[in-house]
Amino acid sequence: MSHPTVTEADAHATGAHIEHDTNTGISNTKLAMWLFLASECLLFGGLITTYLLYKTPLEGPSGKDLYDIPFTSASSFVLLMSSLTMVLAVSAIERGDHHRMRVWLGATGLLGATFIAGQIYEFTAFYREGLGFTTSRFSSAFYTLTGFHGVHVTVGIIMLVSLVFLSVRGKLPEHRSETVEVVGLYWHFVDVVWILIFGIVYLIP
Amino acid sequence: MAITEDRPVEPLALPSGETDADYKPAGVFTRPKASKGWRSWVTTVDHKKIGIMYGATALFFFIVGGVEALLLRAQLWAPRGTLLSADLYNQLYTMHGTTMIFLVVMPIGAAFANYLMPLQIGARDVAFPRINAFSYWTYLSAGLFLNSSWFLGGGADGGWFNYAPNNGVLFSPSHGIDYWNLGLLIAGVASLTGAVNLIVTVLNMRAPGMSLMRMPVFTWMTLVTQFLLLFAIPVLTAAQVLLMMDRLFDANFFNVSKGASPLLWQHLFWIFGHPEVYLMILPAFGLVSDILPTFSRKPIFGYPFIVFSGVAIGFMGWGVWAHHMFVSGIGPISVTAFALTTMFIAVPTGVKILNWTATMWGGKLQFTAPMLFAIGLVLMFTIGGLSGVTSAVAPGDTQQTDTYYIVAHFHYVLFGGAFFGFMAGFYYYWSKVFGYMLNETLGKANFWLMLLAFNLTFAPMHILGLQGMSRRIYTYDSGYGFELWNRVATIGAFILASSIALFIFNIFYSKAKAKKLPPVSPDPWDARTIEWMTPSPVPEYNFDPVPTISRVDDFWYRKYGETKDGALVRIAETDDVVQKRSDGKHIHLPSPSYWPVVVAVGLPIVAYGLLYTLWLSLIGGIIVVGGIFGWALEPPDDPEAGHDDDDHAPDDHSASGDEAVAVGASAEVADDESAAEKVGEPVG
Amino acid sequence: MPRRSVALRVLAVVTVAVVTLLFVVLILDAFRNDGKPLTTLRPEGPSSQSIQNLMAPVFFVALLVGIGVFGVVFYAAWKFRQRGTDDPEQFPDQVHGRTGLEIGWTILPALILAGVAVATVMTIIDLEKRAPDAIRVEVYGQQWWWGYKYDLNNDGVFDIETATEMVIPVGREVDLKVTSNDVIHSFWIPGLNGKKDAVPGQRNDLKVEADIEGVFLGQCTEFCGLSHANMRMLVRSVSADTFDQWAANQQTKAVEPTGAQAKEGLTLFKAQCAQCHIINGIDDGPDRPPVPLVSGIAPNLTHFMTRGTFAGSIFNLYSPQGDPILGNPELTANPGDPGATLVGGPVDTTKVNRAVLEAWLRNSPAMKPAYAQGGRGMPNLGLSEAQIDQLVAYLETLY
Repeated sequence: MSHPTVTEADAHATGAHIEHDTNTGISNTKLAMWLFLASECLLFGGLITTYLLYKTPLEGPSGKDLYDIPFTSASSFVLLMSSLTMVLAVSAIERGDHHRMRVWLGATGLLGATFIAGQIYEFTAFYREGLGFTTSRFSSAFYTLTGFHGVHVTVGIIMLVSLVFLSVRGKLPEHRSETVEVVGLYWHFVDVVWILIFGIVYLIP
Repeated sequence: MAITEDRPVEPLALPSGETDADYKPAGVFTRPKASKGWRSWVTTVDHKKIGIMYGATALFFFIVGGVEALLLRAQLWAPRGTLLSADLYNQLYTMHGTTMIFLVVMPIGAAFANYLMPLQIGARDVAFPRINAFSYWTYLSAGLFLNSSWFLGGGADGGWFNYAPNNGVLFSPSHGIDYWNLGLLIAGVASLTGAVNLIVTVLNMRAPGMSLMRMPVFTWMTLVTQFLLLFAIPVLTAAQVLLMMDRLFDANFFNVSKGASPLLWQHLFWIFGHPEVYLMILPAFGLVSDILPTFSRKPIFGYPFIVFSGVAIGFMGWGVWAHHMFVSGIGPISVTAFALTTMFIAVPTGVKILNWTATMWGGKLQFTAPMLFAIGLVLMFTIGGLSGVTSAVAPGDTQQTDTYYIVAHFHYVLFGGAFFGFMAGFYYYWSKVFGYMLNETLGKANFWLMLLAFNLTFAPMHILGLQGMSRRIYTYDSGYGFELWNRVATIGAFILASSIALFIFNIFYSKAKAKKLPPVSPDPWDARTIEWMTPSPVPEYNFDPVPTISRVDDFWYRKYGETKDGALVRIAETDDVVQKRSDGKHIHLPSPSYWPVVVAVGLPIVAYGLLYTLWLSLIGGIIVVGGIFGWALEPPDDPEAGHDDDDHAPDDHSASGDEAVAVGASAEVADDESAAEKVGEPVG
Repeated sequence: MPRRSVALRVLAVVTVAVVTLLFVVLILDAFRNDGKPLTTLRPEGPSSQSIQNLMAPVFFVALLVGIGVFGVVFYAAWKFRQRGTDDPEQFPDQVHGRTGLEIGWTILPALILAGVAVATVMTIIDLEKRAPDAIRVEVYGQQWWWGYKYDLNNDGVFDIETATEMVIPVGREVDLKVTSNDVIHSFWIPGLNGKKDAVPGQRNDLKVEADIEGVFLGQCTEFCGLSHANMRMLVRSVSADTFDQWAANQQTKAVEPTGAQAKEGLTLFKAQCAQCHIINGIDDGPDRPPVPLVSGIAPNLTHFMTRGTFAGSIFNLYSPQGDPILGNPELTANPGDPGATLVGGPVDTTKVNRAVLEAWLRNSPAMKPAYAQGGRGMPNLGLSEAQIDQLVAYLETLY
């Protein structure tokens, strides 16, 4: 005996119309990025904890002797501004304005690159003042934490540049604007982490 | 998300890949098309094939780790054993632990999660099929990289926990620990991508009506497990990055002479390490929670309590790590705090055991091989749990820790718990996966032999530990009273190996016998959850049509209805409820891809380069980056693969939204109730 | 369902019988602690006793809970098994759960554990208490032996530096600061107290006190590299008088030997051994060159012959007590007895375990795995037999 009523409610694939809902209403990609960033919090958490534990060196120069707060504040400001341009890029693609999006993405990348240049300059200056990677527990922790963040920014820049190229080749239509948004999520996260690092590493005595 | 709210919905109806129709695969690869033969396995993105590969690879590494264990046991057969040198013993026990944890128990959990979870929630595949393939290949390359150390100067020799500063170059100058470190970093990438993928799948891709509280317990435990991985792996990664900096670039994170604290490593390692313990056991808990009701012929007792105790274990697992450090000198206040949290994590664990017992109580128990293994888990895990509670009592732990008592404890948890659960899962699901049943008589013999051998091997270690035998010692002297129980344990270990051999024999024996038998029924056990609706072996498209779920154990209640007075009556024949194999041509599935393999192969090349010559790292880096670009530019669906329909499987392209069809939800399913439920549902 | 096979039934019965028997024997074996010098189950000091007092009921309750769960599961398995005559379509009551029960078995274990928790906290507090008259000893681990520095009068200055064996007065608390010179080790005398890790850069507290006179053995319990298994401890608990004599003798410096062979041995020692080993009064001057070892100094040999064992207590320097002939020198479960030499009496050379000492001097890496080339452990010095005899003759003057 068959009870077709039980199965009739089942979603017949044939002829089914595509429904783009996910159970949560958040797209898979965006949810994945949120999860990934949640995971990254713990990674940076581990490195920041390590820095806090080792911030006073037993030998060699300490952060107090080296930090150029005005300079780093300026480069932090640059990175913060890049979040703004990122928001503008996302809103441009939402409106279907590909040209503006490219401009703002480019600006974001450029601001990020400026930050990285500042970091390279800072590392070089510190090295000249006697803070090598292996000098002290502080130096290892400092370079690893800030360098790790720098690598994240660099990866972000590569993604931004890739987006610009995709867009130029016409492979970034409006309906894929979420790609820009997801890259934006990453970029904002990297920014927020820097605010944290800047506060903890440079500002707290 | 306010930004995207006004996003037009219409363009999403674009056939997948349309905008990328001019895709040129960088002149390297043509799009793989094979659906049979080895190529289909290398390029597959099918969660079921990937699950099988996870399982097969894990069983291979299980044999590797098992042989290592047998060598260890043979060395300890008698006082002053001469089979192994101290150095080799240290490498073997380190690699035994590392292999069993990272390359066996975790991947078997991943194998079941990959194969079963999408079926249990009624999905076509996982959220990101190519990332899924990438996770598997990365796990494989991590495992091979790790074990290649045996041929390139010897394995790691610092224990699976690799405490600083013994893990430094000064104290372990060979590359063994570098292989361990980089290998596990790579494995961490696999676990992390896998975790993201599976969490998104559970949260986003459930069949219509499959609310969170209707999910099978195994799916729940997979969700908890993957969340644990998501947050635990980065902590280990942080620790390993520090260790890598120390070992390869002379940093000072664990250099005591520059003021480093060796306990930093321990804290980071165990913040990862203890959730790790729970994420190894929870998948097995999930499996038995689905198996016990089937063979008790009644529903799981206290479904919400089983689920929430699992979630509670997941949460509390984060607050107990320092119980691994009771004697490290963390101070009496920390010791007290962690002793208390550790004791109370026994409560949700105890709730699970009692619920399982209550599930059996009053049932009609069928002692099949999977049921025997499931009951075995309940009992053996009880022993492991109780010895765990005695270790939570911190003053007692100062006598027990780093002795064989602890070795006994965690083998009762991980072998008696996790592995017995996996064996139950193998016997239960074998026909679903491979289309033939494992021989039941051999399966039961397998169970009894394994139970006997397991207890012979590990039960004596309780007493060895309490009577003073330290862990990780390659030799012991006569006169300490260790001889008898070491002998029993060694005999047990070899019988245990034979029980594994019996399992492998059963696989081939049953396959040969199956040729003469009629095709296996889709539902041989009269089971409860919807994965049993699919034909065996499961077709590539999983469900046709995707079922709409109206309650826990939906499949069961398609077969049986409960009368007003609570009695159960059959309302439909199983044959009418299960799905027939269709040609599946109208169902579009994600296309296979080479790129996940390419990226996964690049990672160990980078790692070898870090150890030997940076040029190799550069080549590896180019492969990885090139692979990622090739991947990103490749449309998730092959535009040339004919598909004249619009029922799409999920995709893993970063563009998403356009192709990411969650669960094949249909407009026909105008089931307002389930739709409303879906919207108002809590997320995780 | 396949027919039940007889062989399968036999296997099942055998398994259940063997495993049950195994557990019974194991539980009984926990009460048989003779001839098990490292056992944690026979406390000989107040600290280990207080751990035992806490753990015995905990083990007992755990055993009861375990028997309870096993009993219920076995009973359910037997009582609710599907019988061959049953109609497979005849279903049991479909119970989905019962909230009252769930709350009950959440609260019950929580209550049991709360009781255990209270006792645990009290014991932790008890183990942290220190007696005012405790002797202060700094213990340091090093690959792969232990060193001890005594501060007898609590003035912050170490009065005695010794290695391998710790001597303590019976019935008096000894307040240990445990640390390490290289990797993490763990100091553990199961008869006296639980273990405590020796962490470099950290000084961890531990106390030991013995209720009786005697010898207590221990084993390093934190993996510390190649010869982790060969890193043992030995504590001699002696009467207060003996301890005072021992302490007085330990504070004396070594004197130049008189015998001709021993004099040769001293010359050889200064040339070959003094780089790493200190003998107070001989080579402990301020102009000592730095030690070529990774971890620091090698064991102090000033009063070498007052110790019953050597090389991380893995070899007997003397024959064990009550053993007139030299038994198996590797049976350190029955450690060597220095007799009156412990407190500075002359060496009874007939009791000295020359064979093993000579073998050690001949090729120590063959006797105990070490990375001597990497500056960790004693290297093979390539001594001739005559030189070994000279060195042994000199070592025998160190008491």
